[in-house]
Amino acid sequence: MSTFTFLWRLIMYRPYRYSFNALAWTLIYLAPIVPGLITKQFFDSLTNESAAAYGTWGIIAMLMGAAVARVMLIIVGFITDVQFRFRMGMLLRRNVLEHVLKQPGARAIPCSPGEAISHFRDDVDQSEEAVSWSVDSFGMTCFAAVSCFILIRIDAQMTLFVFLPLVLVVTTAQLATTRLQKYRAASREATSKVTGAISEMFGNVQAIQVAGAEHRVAQRFRRLGDDRRKTMLKDRLMTEVLDSVFSNSVNLGTGLILLLAAQKMRAGTFTVGDFAVFVYYLTFVTQFITNFGKFLTFFKQMTVALKRLTALLQGASANVLTAFNPLYLSKGERNAKREKTEGKSQDPGGDRLNRIEISGLSYLYPDTGRGIVDIDLTLERGSFTVLTGTIGSGKTTFVRALLGLLPAAEGTVRWNGRVVEDLGSFFIPPRSAYTAQMPRLYSDTLRNNILLGLAEHDDNLPRAIHAAVMEYDVEHLQLGLDTMIGPRGVKLSGGQAQRTAAARMLVRDAELYVFDDLSSALDVETEQKLWDRLFAARGEATCLVVSHRKAALAHADHIVVMKDGRVEAEGTAQQLIQSNDSFRKLWFGEGS
Amino acid sequence: MQNKQKVTMGQYYDLLRRYLLPQRKTLIGLALLLFASIGLQLVNPQIIRFFIDTAQSQGELKPLFYAAGIFIGFSIVHQVVSVLATYISENVAWKTTNTLRGDLAEHCLSLDMSFHKSQTSGAIIERVDGDVNALSNFFSSMIIHLVGNMLLMAGIIVLLFRENWLIGAGMTLFVVFAVYMIQWIRKFAVPIWTQWRQVNAEFYGFIGEQLEGTEDIRANGAEGFVMNRFYAMLSRMLPIRLKAFLGFAMMWNTSIIIFAIGNALAFAVSAYLWKTQAISIGTVYLIFYYTELLAKPIEKIRTQMEDLQKADASITRIRELFATQSLVTDGPGTALPDGPLGVEFRDVTFSYEGDTGAPTLDKLQVMLKPGEVLGLLGRTGSGKSTLARLLLRFYDPQEGVVAVGGVDIRQCKINTLRKRVALVTQTIEIMEGTVRDNLTFYNDSITDDQILDVLGDLGLLDWYGSLPEGLDTKLASGGGGLSAGEAQLLAFARVFLTNPGLVIMDEASSRLDPLTEQRIEIAIGKLLTKRSCIIIAHRLTTVQRADHILILENGSVIESGRRAELAANPESRFSRMLATGLEEVLA
Repeated sequence: MSTFTFLWRLIMYRPYRYSFNALAWTLIYLAPIVPGLITKQFFDSLTNESAAAYGTWGIIAMLMGAAVARVMLIIVGFITDVQFRFRMGMLLRRNVLEHVLKQPGARAIPCSPGEAISHFRDDVDQSEEAVSWSVDSFGMTCFAAVSCFILIRIDAQMTLFVFLPLVLVVTTAQLATTRLQKYRAASREATSKVTGAISEMFGNVQAIQVAGAEHRVAQRFRRLGDDRRKTMLKDRLMTEVLDSVFSNSVNLGTGLILLLAAQKMRAGTFTVGDFAVFVYYLTFVTQFITNFGKFLTFFKQMTVALKRLTALLQGASANVLTAFNPLYLSKGERNAKREKTEGKSQDPGGDRLNRIEISGLSYLYPDTGRGIVDIDLTLERGSFTVLTGTIGSGKTTFVRALLGLLPAAEGTVRWNGRVVEDLGSFFIPPRSAYTAQMPRLYSDTLRNNILLGLAEHDDNLPRAIHAAVMEYDVEHLQLGLDTMIGPRGVKLSGGQAQRTAAARMLVRDAELYVFDDLSSALDVETEQKLWDRLFAARGEATCLVVSHRKAALAHADHIVVMKDGRVEAEGTAQQLIQSNDSFRKLWFGEGS
Repeated sequence: MQNKQKVTMGQYYDLLRRYLLPQRKTLIGLALLLFASIGLQLVNPQIIRFFIDTAQSQGELKPLFYAAGIFIGFSIVHQVVSVLATYISENVAWKTTNTLRGDLAEHCLSLDMSFHKSQTSGAIIERVDGDVNALSNFFSSMIIHLVGNMLLMAGIIVLLFRENWLIGAGMTLFVVFAVYMIQWIRKFAVPIWTQWRQVNAEFYGFIGEQLEGTEDIRANGAEGFVMNRFYAMLSRMLPIRLKAFLGFAMMWNTSIIIFAIGNALAFAVSAYLWKTQAISIGTVYLIFYYTELLAKPIEKIRTQMEDLQKADASITRIRELFATQSLVTDGPGTALPDGPLGVEFRDVTFSYEGDTGAPTLDKLQVMLKPGEVLGLLGRTGSGKSTLARLLLRFYDPQEGVVAVGGVDIRQCKINTLRKRVALVTQTIEIMEGTVRDNLTFYNDSITDDQILDVLGDLGLLDWYGSLPEGLDTKLASGGGGLSAGEAQLLAFARVFLTNPGLVIMDEASSRLDPLTEQRIEIAIGKLLTKRSCIIIAHRLTTVQRADHILILENGSVIESGRRAELAANPESRFSRMLATGLEEVLA
């Protein structure tokens, strides 16, 4: 998608709001025309009393009236601007977020979450800015046209001689700002070196103190600081030179007017009022050029932003970004949505699971080339299968590929004999539920963290909490299930987080439960309880468990040993102890 | 309130004296430039007045051209002066804040571990970088802008008084009114703005959590739930954003109205004076021009006052940091003996929470002769690592004495102590920088040959050969690109490069696979000749070379003796460990 199409589609998301906003801002930019004319009137009324249409008080009243009108327009302008910008920016964020949530969960974003957030924030802001400034440049252009018309009518020759050189100077300076990028980049790099050095100094304080290197490290830090000062100064000097060209162009223009007006003023063909209005508009004309330059810069940055946002989509078309979707900001939209969801009955329910057949499932991580190759496995209804193997043998990768959380390269999965097309959207409740190896909790109440939007009915929540051995912890939280957890609330221990995730899984009635290393942060006693209760609570459900704990292995009616991304052996614990060397090591521990 | 104000003034003075005074020559130059710039801004309207009056009275043409020429000339000079002034003030600001930043960093590095454990490194970075950055404006533009603009404003008013007392008095009233109004309106706008920033932060926090938890959301079918929360958040954000921006509009509008009032006032007074023939038309324009010129300093002073408030908070925090004293202080500097160092803990009691907390070490007695190796065993939390930290004086015990080489370590200089006592831990801290920097910590006196010898001892020459730029190869922060084992070996190499009398290895080989561990056994053996050593371990293989074994539980010794004797005694815990495996006994 070209940047221009992108801009256009964003505008077309809410075309009326955009047009209304453009109209409001054009009027705001046109407003200073009036005080200019009033000032001219004032001086003319003094020098040539016969020409005075209004008295001094009349002029003052008009001046105040114009200011009040402009203030009103600005209020309207800010409302229309926020209303449009917010919708446009949030549409982008909504579309990206929705797309990310549809991706294979373990590879939903191509970068670190921190980086992705900066795309969500900064790149969308850049795009917002570009669209918003398109309005401003339009308004400013209108102002330039109207004011030029007025000035030409006063004195065409003077307008030409004063404004032409000025426009040239300011435009050249504006173009030169692009050259600033080089200095900007250098100073930014120096800055990041300094901040990097600080975080390393204090991240590695112990090593530095052990080595007795405090002074040497600080010395190096000072050197980096001095490098930053030098690059910063260069950057500042360039910026300041350009800035002063902009701000001083008004003074230079005034000088030019003086030079040209000397004769005419003496002859009386150019009044003090004319002089005043010329100088008054000068300020705004230079502002026009800088604002236009700003728009161009934002437009350029929008190209980069578009590229980054598209990269976040991992190969999907950029059209996803600007797809039309409601944001449910108005009551009408919200009501329509409620009716829709009420009309749609609960999911028809997954068909009863009899058997899952996995054949030839493969996934290789693009960066390391490791992964799983050609896995075959059959899960029968009600079975309890444990996947085991050493670290890095591909257990988690297998589970993720099966559930569509990683995009499997090859292989088929059959549910009751039927091939599943899109694993990711198929393996969700009520067909399956899952606990990740490192489950994530959200800044919300414990209740919402477990339910994740699921309705509470009968005693599903207390049952899930009991099965996950959470009841004791819930009792001891001050507000019980309504306790806020996460960074701004109570911080749960690793074991508590894992059991919350287990409850999250168990509260969903599913045919297949998949848990990845559920007990890794639990003590022996809790773990034993958990497996016992799980076994009792699961009913007829099928379980696929990743674990190398004896407690889990003892419950299993089928064990799969993985090694180097392949299935090494399968069978019951008894069989495997006899036949498989790696299983023996896992079962008896590696010994000290 | 009065008192607090005084403290703040004192704080400003302190900082200015310490960091700005050394630059006083530059500052004088800066002040001169500032005066020049103000003078040029004030004189220009006078030229225009001369021009208009001369033109109106049909005077000669030549002076008019001169006036126009001078006006343009002054404008250009003013431009040069203002660029120069900004450059110099920026330079002063960077120099002062760099010194301040360096001093703060060095001060923080010298503080003891209880300080560093109580602060996240993020918080310290915020102090050393964030707060000092906030001050940078205080040091540079504050002086230029605040003082400069106040002078400019005063100059304008004085010149207006010179024209006529009425216009002077009118404009003085106007300035007071304008500053007051702009300050007053801020009271309404700023809180909403803060609220918006907070909602915004919450929003991105939410997005971040979703992006980190995509696996859980997807597999548990919670996309709908997430999107609904997203929409709910939007509905909450829009009104706040609207209010925040209207607050911003209010500030803009206030200045529009205020300056319209200013213009109106100028019009009214000058029209009156013109009609009573007290002033010329040129003077009318002069008044108009000065009124317009007033807008800039009033706005600037407002923003500078805001920055001043920010700087206020930063200065207080920086001073607090400077005032934080290390709980561990240098001793008089008793020298440690050369060669291997013995260790003695005499009735050492220590708690991380100070005197009140449960003791981590309880009346601990340890004795190690110079040149011997002590194997320290015990479950997590038994106090093993604490013992190591006390030996390096990351903390001081509440009771008892820790002696190294027969000297109470509180009598030594901390730096000397840490030169003779080396620590290798399981957390390896790799810094961004070259391999050499990481090994020597910027100590230039260590030669490349020494480094290569050590790498050879540790069997790292193959690895060294694979480095594209040898010792100048850059390592990423946190050791990215190094395997855990390699990073661990580099940590050993650091110790090999110094000449300690006592080496403490805290789970140092836990990340190495058995093969590598065997390989460096020989190197460690070499390192430990003529040195004492304490090995803290989970695995029994690691303490094989120990002469003595000490088992800790809850901060006390529950078993101690020569390794050979303990192993031979079937009643000892150590021999039971050997028989059943360490984990079983300790778990």
